[in-house]
Amino acid sequence: MLRADDLTYEHPPGPGQETPGGVRHVSLEIPRGGIVGILGPNGSGKTTLLRLMAGLIKPASGRVLLNGRDLASRSRREVAREIAVVPQETRLAFDFTVLEVVLMGRFPHLGAFQLEGDEDARLARQALEDTGTAHLAGRMFPTLSGGEKQRVIIAAALAQAAPVLLLDEPTASLDPGSQIEIAALLRRLNARRQVTLGVATHDLNFAASLCTSLVLLRQGRVAAAGPTSEVLTHEHIRTVYGVDADISFNERAGHLTVVPLARAGHH
Amino acid sequence: MPPPAAGGRPTVVSLVPAVTEMLFAVGAGPQVVGVGSFDSWPPEVRHLPKLGALLDPDVERILRLRPGVLVLHVSQQELRTQMERVGIRVFAHATGGLDDVPRNMRKIGSLVGRAAEAEEAAAAFERSLDEIRARAAGRARRRTLIVFGHEPGALRAIDASGGIGFLHDVVTLAGGENVFASVKRESVRVSTEAILAAAPEVILDLRYGQEWESEAEAARERAAWNALPAVPAVRTGRVHVLSGDRFVIPGPRLVEAARDIAAALED
Amino acid sequence: MPMRRRMAFTVLTFGGLAAAACLIAPLIGSTPLSLRRVFDGSVPFAENPDAQIFFVARLPRTLAAALVGASLAAAGVVFQALLRNPLATPFTLGVSAGAALGAMLAIIFPVGLAFAGVSSVPIASFAGALGAVAIVYALATVRRQGLSTTVLLLAGITLNAFFSSVILFIQYLADFTQTFRTVRWLMGDLDVGSYTPILAALPFMLVAFAAFSVLPRALNLLTLGADAAAARGVDVLRTQRLSFFSASLATGAAVSLGGPVGFIGIIVPHLVRLLVGSDHRIVLPAATLFGAAFLIACDTASRMVMAPMELPVGILTALIGGPFFLWLLLRRS
Repeated sequence: MLRADDLTYEHPPGPGQETPGGVRHVSLEIPRGGIVGILGPNGSGKTTLLRLMAGLIKPASGRVLLNGRDLASRSRREVAREIAVVPQETRLAFDFTVLEVVLMGRFPHLGAFQLEGDEDARLARQALEDTGTAHLAGRMFPTLSGGEKQRVIIAAALAQAAPVLLLDEPTASLDPGSQIEIAALLRRLNARRQVTLGVATHDLNFAASLCTSLVLLRQGRVAAAGPTSEVLTHEHIRTVYGVDADISFNERAGHLTVVPLARAGHH
Repeated sequence: MPPPAAGGRPTVVSLVPAVTEMLFAVGAGPQVVGVGSFDSWPPEVRHLPKLGALLDPDVERILRLRPGVLVLHVSQQELRTQMERVGIRVFAHATGGLDDVPRNMRKIGSLVGRAAEAEEAAAAFERSLDEIRARAAGRARRRTLIVFGHEPGALRAIDASGGIGFLHDVVTLAGGENVFASVKRESVRVSTEAILAAAPEVILDLRYGQEWESEAEAARERAAWNALPAVPAVRTGRVHVLSGDRFVIPGPRLVEAARDIAAALED
Repeated sequence: MPMRRRMAFTVLTFGGLAAAACLIAPLIGSTPLSLRRVFDGSVPFAENPDAQIFFVARLPRTLAAALVGASLAAAGVVFQALLRNPLATPFTLGVSAGAALGAMLAIIFPVGLAFAGVSSVPIASFAGALGAVAIVYALATVRRQGLSTTVLLLAGITLNAFFSSVILFIQYLADFTQTFRTVRWLMGDLDVGSYTPILAALPFMLVAFAAFSVLPRALNLLTLGADAAAARGVDVLRTQRLSFFSASLATGAAVSLGGPVGFIGIIVPHLVRLLVGSDHRIVLPAATLFGAAFLIACDTASRMVMAPMELPVGILTALIGGPFFLWLLLRRS
């Protein structure tokens, strides 16, 4: 459905980084209805890749294809009707209510001076209910907890009614309870609303609990890709993260778990 | 002790244009060894060193010249203390009413050893003013607006003389009645409404520092007043644009200024 | 309330307030005025002081106050959204410093630069404002394609500081009275004395407001951040450019007409947000209309309290705005 084709995008090294950031010759595919995790240590190019795939930045070379059509040939509004994005954290410059924030998701479906109609209101309410935030509708967004904010932003993305949802570190700043909630919410959306998900994260266990397949990035290149059980191997974790880890299937959790044990020695 | 000038009289540095003019009027011109940045009269001062003004007196150069007397503005307290500490006598000038002009002439005259000449010059100054006053006494007093600043070519940001200060005194003496006499300030920012309500019969539009101004430009300034045709002065053509520093420097040339103003009021 | 009703309600309420201010302000002042004599057709205009006080002194300055207030308040809303900073003002990016430099040069070096009946000071200040806008934009875009609001803010603050020091330097060289007059210009003055300067500023303001009318929804989304707005379909760069140039144009025109009247661009947007929420489709028209009413009220007070002397209107807005700004800061922290 959403395919990255030999993407290259470089930017100068960020603070504390030695090598330039970005991605080099990355290809991957998120199939319709799939949940694909993009994994890698800090600075491995996860966020850059996600922004490229959402069409927020233009690759230096390569293409992003949505249902076979190049994103670069389409307007921002057209792309936004197909792909919604949830950033790691959302800070508002001004106080908007939760309902107003969710209604902002309707932007790509409205004309320049068109006001939100009944259908838009219905979709916003539906999105609030699907994310369990209907009771927050009248609250001011900045007064919410981190987990509540993230669910509201996901609701706004649902109101956008895009078949593809890309999330950048959706749980990075959340406590464990909220992390589990978000994972459950995303699984539910994927199952019930057939939302195709791309999730960038450095949390291996979150990815293991959620994703059907993974792409492992290392210094801007794909180190491994495939079904979750094939990517989450001792070897891959050692190559990409430089740690020895215990990887086992946890019966109670129902998915693989990764426990880092020690920095790997150099061979 | 500072070196005495020829004839045992002290040398002088004057940072105040009005007092510089007085010094030359009382025959102390040869004693003047330095003047302020804004001094331009009499022509002799052009060859004298410029030693700063209100905000930026050049203390070092003043000290090097070692004048017997330094003329400064009354608000230059710090400079005064500094000078007195090294034994330089100080004359602190304050701009006041018309009466202060001959008074200051006598004071500075006696300070620089020209008491007799100063007495003569001050008395002549007073006699000339008396003559102008006497000539005006017979005429009807015209309600006069004294403007000493507005935007070039437009009736905006109009500064007028209130009921105190030498400009008010000169106009009163020359047979005018200041329409803003009741405002006890030297400078009044007046609105067009206040001018329409005051209904002056004569408008004196004083310009200074612009003696190069051509007759065409004076005509343009006069024409700006046509925006207020209900003002009697405008209707009857009694708007006088008078240019020259003599209108704004409270020195001996106020006699000439008073003559010009009297002529304008008579017109 | 549905959006359409909310918008109609806002425009009617704040529009009514602005209209009332426009109608009442010319009727009151330091001089008693007989409306019968104002509209007495049998007396020629040239000989009718009442009509002239009404049509030359009060009406133009009421209109000027309305336009300046509306422009600065609207520009304040747009700059705050563009910079995602509630403490931004129309003067944050150096437009007013450029205008002040221009005005000051025209005051201190008077040349006959009048054009079509507009005197040199407003022309020079408008030119200065445009110059500042061009410099800030060039600085903010020199390193890369996009428009970084952080760089924009830094460039604006730097330019403000630089222009201020140039102003101080030139004032230092100027004589005392000229310096006094430039300082006085900075306090704002709406006594325009004729309709010409208003007509000269109006086209620029209209262009700016035409741009403002397409902005509100995109500005709402910009408050989420540039990436989030883009992900929802906003053409961020286009929105930022349009916001920057239109708000700068409105500010430049307003400042050249009435001087840099302070605090309107921050008090009014925040007061309006307290009343109607943050949605820019409501805030922008409400702030525009309320800004007009607010500055008319301030100007009416400023020409009356010390009559026949003028209290500079900028002093009045600053007296109200200073404490308000502080309250805002304390409330946020």
